[in-house]
Amino acid sequence: MTRTRQAAVPCAVLSAGVALLVLAAACGPKRVAEPPTPTDLIVLLPGEDPNATGRVTVSSRAGQTVELDGERESTKVAANKPPTPPATLDKAEVDRIFGDTIKTLPPEPHHFQLYFRFESDELTDESRALVPEILRLVGERPFPDVTIVGHTDTTGTSKSNHDLGLKRATTIRNWLVARGLEARLVEVASHGEADLLVPTADNTAEPRNRRVEISVR
Amino acid sequence: MTFLRCGAGLVAVMFAGAGTAWSQTPAAAGRIKISSGQASIVREGKEVPAKAGELVYQADVLKTGADGRLGVTLRDESQISLGPTSEVRVDRFVYAPAEGNLGMALRIARGIVAYVSGRIAKLAPDAVRLETPAAIVGVRGTRLVIQAGSQAPAAATQTKTRKS
Repeated sequence: MTRTRQAAVPCAVLSAGVALLVLAAACGPKRVAEPPTPTDLIVLLPGEDPNATGRVTVSSRAGQTVELDGERESTKVAANKPPTPPATLDKAEVDRIFGDTIKTLPPEPHHFQLYFRFESDELTDESRALVPEILRLVGERPFPDVTIVGHTDTTGTSKSNHDLGLKRATTIRNWLVARGLEARLVEVASHGEADLLVPTADNTAEPRNRRVEISVR
Repeated sequence: MTFLRCGAGLVAVMFAGAGTAWSQTPAAAGRIKISSGQASIVREGKEVPAKAGELVYQADVLKTGADGRLGVTLRDESQISLGPTSEVRVDRFVYAPAEGNLGMALRIARGIVAYVSGRIAKLAPDAVRLETPAAIVGVRGTRLVIQAGSQAPAAATQTKTRKS
């Protein structure tokens, strides 16, 4: 708003800026106040898990750094100034400035883990039972994207595991599409043995790592 | 740069390997899920309407007008929303966990932005970076909000400015 108004001010007036400022100071609170320095405000919010508020570091261009790690902790940074020491903003203030924008965040992504029967490309009964839930969730979302990622344990080479992960993910994709999932929404990938659910050494059989993750976002 | 190009290449290979009907040549960074009021994407110098459902790519600039709002989900599941009169550039987005190529940089030029971190911040926290005109924000898996380039009177916590 301020910016637009300033832009509209003719050059002549701007060049007489000094005079104006003196005038403004003399007349007390006027519209034509000294323009405040543009300032960035950064506020940490609690995460999805209320016990796990994250952490951010805020650095000025000159490298001075402040760390925020508490709920609604904030700092301000103006050009060529160090970040202000962390201060907690009250909830009303966060809502006033950011409330509507926070409400515009898309729905949280949702995950499903599907497991195969041992030595088979058949899903377990439990995993099959998740399908209606997956389809319902996809149907509810605005412009959904679905990613199906195949994972393996560390038995075998990473190349063969990449291929195996892809095969699993593709199997699930085809299976879900046959049950009503729109094919064009789906992206298939393999993380092979690079993204273990249960960390293990190499060449370790671990059924919990042989899975397909579906992310609906 | 080399790293970037390399990352994009690997992503492309990954999807070609998947044999899916995935036709976008550079992998999209994400998709607009919510859009209202005046909102646009500036891509390669051209401004197109930022409608819900549109894909967002690396190097895109998201812009909202005085009544505009946008909600975007990126492929790594991070989420961003823009309030009115806001501008955010997707400086960098690389998401290829299988190859260990991960990186995200958003430049928040002005306005109001909410951000929820995704998989990249989980797998490689140092690979996520948000920039405002005066600051660089490093993210360790979290939700945060940013007001960039505000010329409004100081918000609550600041020491009160004198009034005559």
